[in-house]
Amino acid sequence: MFGLLKADKGTAEIDGIDVAKNPMAAKQNLGLFPDPCGLYERLTPREYITFFAQLSGMSEIAAKEATAKVLEKLSMDDIADRRCQGFSQGQRMKTALAQAVVHNPSNIILDEPTRGLDVMSTRILRELLLLLKAQGHCVLFSSHVMQEVAALCDHVVIMANGKVVAEGSVESLCERTGKDSLEEAFIDLIGSDEGIAA
Amino acid sequence: MINLLKVLYKKEVMDASRDKRSVVAGLYYAIGAPLGICILFTLLLQQLASPDALKITIENSLSAPNLVAHLKNNDIAMATDNTDSKLKPIILQISDDYQKNMREGRPATVTLIADKSDDKLRKHIQRVEKTLALYNSEVASLRLITRGVDPQLMRVLAVEVNDQATPDSKGGMFLGIATLSMILTVFYAAMNLAIDTSAGERERNSLSLLLSHPLSSLHIVLAKSAAIATFSMLGLAIILVVSKFSYGMVPWQQLGFSVTITPSFMLFCAVVCLPIAFMSASLQVFVSFTAKSFKEAQSYVTMVLFIPMALSMVTTYDIATDIVQWLPIAAQQFALMEFIKGNPIPVPQLVLSTLITIILFGVFSYLSSRMLKSEKVVFGL
Repeated sequence: MFGLLKADKGTAEIDGIDVAKNPMAAKQNLGLFPDPCGLYERLTPREYITFFAQLSGMSEIAAKEATAKVLEKLSMDDIADRRCQGFSQGQRMKTALAQAVVHNPSNIILDEPTRGLDVMSTRILRELLLLLKAQGHCVLFSSHVMQEVAALCDHVVIMANGKVVAEGSVESLCERTGKDSLEEAFIDLIGSDEGIAA
Repeated sequence: MINLLKVLYKKEVMDASRDKRSVVAGLYYAIGAPLGICILFTLLLQQLASPDALKITIENSLSAPNLVAHLKNNDIAMATDNTDSKLKPIILQISDDYQKNMREGRPATVTLIADKSDDKLRKHIQRVEKTLALYNSEVASLRLITRGVDPQLMRVLAVEVNDQATPDSKGGMFLGIATLSMILTVFYAAMNLAIDTSAGERERNSLSLLLSHPLSSLHIVLAKSAAIATFSMLGLAIILVVSKFSYGMVPWQQLGFSVTITPSFMLFCAVVCLPIAFMSASLQVFVSFTAKSFKEAQSYVTMVLFIPMALSMVTTYDIATDIVQWLPIAAQQFALMEFIKGNPIPVPQLVLSTLITIILFGVFSYLSSRMLKSEKVVFGL
């Protein structure tokens, strides 16, 4: 999607823009929360987030304002001006998340966003993702925590061994497998408990 | 594009300047090199000004009291104690018929026994040989005078040397070393930063995040090169200032030349070295990206930096062929040396080598940006 890996086959479009043909325009509409976080240890979260906001096309003033807002929204004011070196996993995740959403992209991709987060941060993240969804953003995230997926997702795609094995709403997947929970449905669909351990 | 470059450059400089260990490690060279050169030359000059007393073994010395006295006047004494630390393994054997031959005006044999393959001993052997030759000519002149012959008859040519060198131009070898240290600063001062900002960035997983933003890989490479070049130029500024003060403290006048780092030379050096700084930065970024890890990059960059060092040394030791004198670094260093000597600057060589340097910067930057499109390079696979 970011043009870093070449597709063996098929195409990917973001808001109707082919990522292979026009990667720059496609990336304008994307926010990425990577795994690992990719922090700059010697920068503070404020500097880090402002830097990526500017890279996404915002002016310096707009980037600083947007950074201040996102820092407040994620309750990061206490760590905003400390260098990232020595941050806990939760603080790292929050910084990376703030970077992904600071420029208010229409699409946000998150790679296991709740790993290492404490209970309060996980709750804040959930609220933030729901808020982004309510604001009309498309949020695509990967997760192994089925409760989280069930609580947040409208559409679930289950993958095993690099292939899509099922997709649909949480309800439709449960209905299809005759299970009460998404976790049970997931094990049933992938045919083993490998996915849980992964 | 300019705005993006500015944002990237600002971040690179800020990030690099906070990596104090890397910055200081690079600047150690800029401060240490001229000071080291000065200490070395001061010691060398002291040795030249007052050579150490030399002690040798003279066998059958009683047969040649005048020769022994002559040697002693030239600080070459006969050892009385075999454990003397100044005693060198040089033996001067005076033949038994020395006095008889001297009396009769025939060549009196003295045998010098020493190992000429011993590098440390060679200069001492030469000193003894020179002193013996001087004694030889002095006694020969006296013999001619006693026979009523003018010793000037022995001089066939009266060679007069009219040295046109100025005090500044005489120190060629030293100036070569001084300018070599300046050019190498441009390469070494920011070496750690160059590796950290490329191979290090990939190892910290921030490179892929950077590339996921709407900017081209060429933007990233150019900003990184500019930031590295900034630190290289900072290193150059430091070495120039340290050189200006430290070279002034070495007693060059003993060798009959002077070394003056003037503000105009400092400016000229900065202008000549700026393209080299950019080329060096792009080369180091390129090499760092070809390596798979930070440590591997350190090894490769160190190896690659032998090339500019070799080119620079070719000029320093004056072993350049005509073609090499047109190559980057060699030509720029030559221009710096000519400037400091007060000679005309070789403009065609300087212009061409600067152009080649700029082209190399473009080529390395392009190659690095191409590499950043490969998933193998971005993820270090």
